[in-house]
Amino acid sequence: MDLRFTEAQEILRKMARDFLTAECPKSLVRELEQSEKGYSPELWKKIAELGWMGLVIPEQYEGMGYTFQDLTVLMEEIGRNILPGPFVSTVTATFPILEAGTEEQKREFLPKIARGELILTTAFLEAEGTFSPSAITTSATAKGDNFVINGTKMFVEMAHVADYMVCAARTKSGVDAEKGISLFLVDARTPGIKCEVMPTIADDKLCEVRFENVPVPKKNLLGKLDEGWPIVRNFLRKGAIIKCAESIGAMQVCVEMTVAYSKERVQYDRPIGAFQALQHIMADMWTAMQTSRYIVYKVAWMESTGLPCQKEASMAKAYVNEAYKNIAKWAVRLHGAIGVTYDHDISLYYRRSKSADAAFGGTDFHREIVAQQIGLA
Amino acid sequence: MDFELSSEQKARRQMFFDACKALEPKKPATMIGTETVFTRDECWEFHLYCAKEFAKKNWLALGWPPEYGGTGDAMDRVFFAEARGYYGIPGVDIFGVGMLAPTLLAAASEEIKREFLPPIAKAEVMWCELWSEPNAGSDLAALSTTAIRKGDEYIINGQKTWNTGANRADWGFGVFKTDPAGRKHHNLTFILLDMKTPGITVRPIPYMYRESPFCEVYFDDVHVPAKNIVGQENEGWAVVNVLAGFERSGMGEVAAMDRILEEVVKFLNETKRGGQPLAKDPVIRNRIAQIACELEAARTLSYRIADLQNRNEMALMDASAAKIFYSELGERFAFTMMDILGPAGLIKFSKWAPMQGHWERAVQDCFVTTISMGTNEIQRNIIAWYGLGLPRMK
Repeated sequence: MDLRFTEAQEILRKMARDFLTAECPKSLVRELEQSEKGYSPELWKKIAELGWMGLVIPEQYEGMGYTFQDLTVLMEEIGRNILPGPFVSTVTATFPILEAGTEEQKREFLPKIARGELILTTAFLEAEGTFSPSAITTSATAKGDNFVINGTKMFVEMAHVADYMVCAARTKSGVDAEKGISLFLVDARTPGIKCEVMPTIADDKLCEVRFENVPVPKKNLLGKLDEGWPIVRNFLRKGAIIKCAESIGAMQVCVEMTVAYSKERVQYDRPIGAFQALQHIMADMWTAMQTSRYIVYKVAWMESTGLPCQKEASMAKAYVNEAYKNIAKWAVRLHGAIGVTYDHDISLYYRRSKSADAAFGGTDFHREIVAQQIGLA
Repeated sequence: MDFELSSEQKARRQMFFDACKALEPKKPATMIGTETVFTRDECWEFHLYCAKEFAKKNWLALGWPPEYGGTGDAMDRVFFAEARGYYGIPGVDIFGVGMLAPTLLAAASEEIKREFLPPIAKAEVMWCELWSEPNAGSDLAALSTTAIRKGDEYIINGQKTWNTGANRADWGFGVFKTDPAGRKHHNLTFILLDMKTPGITVRPIPYMYRESPFCEVYFDDVHVPAKNIVGQENEGWAVVNVLAGFERSGMGEVAAMDRILEEVVKFLNETKRGGQPLAKDPVIRNRIAQIACELEAARTLSYRIADLQNRNEMALMDASAAKIFYSELGERFAFTMMDILGPAGLIKFSKWAPMQGHWERAVQDCFVTTISMGTNEIQRNIIAWYGLGLPRMK
């Protein structure tokens, strides 16, 4: 047991922190929030050159060949700084390709992803907004050399700028909702796809994507026909860990900013951080942050090592969701009125604590998985 | 970052688990939680029996330097705590083995170490702590019980309180005011004394459930040899800080909750209400899953502390955070279970009680961890002042 980051991970962490501090200031974050695209193509190019999109892609496909754990180290820094854009959607959409893609699909997609030439996203959720197989009503019907997709996907992150979507659609109806779902690599510019960006709390460009008789070549079936759901489940587990890693970075900033502010802000002739009423809240914020860090580090290590970790991933997501929301809430409260303003950085994190919760399964969704995993009938 | 134990560590961990599992069948049915060791005779007897068994394996001297008969390392202490926690096995004197021995190793004279360490390792002497007084709790340095030097003795007068197991202990260690006119923090001495010394009166204090895990101790001209001190005369506060600085990983407490969670799952699967198992109730599922998530958070923080200890690094903030977290999780767990059990949760250990009356006891015992060993409010001060660098209260 050695719970320190490796030297290589420390280098990655420092490089990411320095880069993001210089290249993605909060002024740019706000600008991108209000922009139509929601990301900066120049910045996207730079992070591609750093190898971030290809971090866990094997070297044979032009990636860096790093581990999943290394990716979580990077995500923690991204969470600290905030990086608007399609990084999370692209990296997590890569997981199903790595897991289930044919050699041909891997050769076609992975090098382009690694080079930053393809923006990806996943179109799994629908109107119910829950990662439940029964919620998938979008259909894909075989017709000649194609499957034809019809239906409406929701909460598809960055779909408006994506080149490809990994889309889950029903290919067979039956008693078991899990059977009969297939995944497709869909060219986002195929005629029949209509995409609208929904206004959301974190301006993270969640889209409604309507499919009207959208043809997808049969060679773009990802994984086996009717057996896509286990891939979605693995995607969800890995994505939850990725999101947790991003959140623990953000939580650290919330604690640091709040402690620093409480040492500066003077009321009643002393810094407000001298009041125990506030000190104990900050001690609790620190405790919530530190417990979150290690619950995430452990599951990131398990996933990286290939150990089964659905239980631990759901425990981490359910725990971190609550911890981040609570820390961000107290961070705003302790900043007082300045904290609720758009121009103060703390509100950027507060809004993201809500979107991070919903992404890759909310608290109650993951608690139900935990309930099953610990053996409740 | 690697959470994997080495194969040698895995084998040692298993050894501790096997030993505790083997002791479990001998555990009295009346032993519910750790405090019953002090309140019930058969539980105290079981504690002494386990202590002797552990002494035979030299497990009461884990992590001590070899010249004082020590064996094993910091990780062994963690594994041993985990195994005892999981199986609910006593046998390690929390005062002698847990607090005094490391303090002696860090701060006592060679003579005192040679005299007092071996009986601790052999489980020949059980200790109690004589710290708090009626007017000195969290502000311990405000204590007023005096130990006045007269020749080669101290003469002690005053009163200590909240002394867990003082009615069962052979010896006690405490801090006493040896220079009543001296400056605060430079007027106290850390003294070791035989609890059978004339002039000592021990009165058990009934806890809210009427049994008495703790006592008050009165000193009326108690003569103690002057050599029985740790550190320098009037510099006992420094020794108190050494003792308070030993960071606990909380692994034992986490393991105990792991075990009880397994039993809760079994109970919920087997117990029906309205024709279906309690485990099917979505509200119950959600609440128990929340406890399980928080338990995982507590566990991973304990790993973090163990990892730091294993490299001899400080874990001050983490240890305070862990203590706050696992103790308040214990509270939440107990309160949650009382909600789930309804009126049946109110029943004490008896033929009517679900889960052997564990939760009726737990909702009262949970204060043992939140209040003792530095209240959670003091732990929050430690995080705020020493960890986050916030201005200290004057």
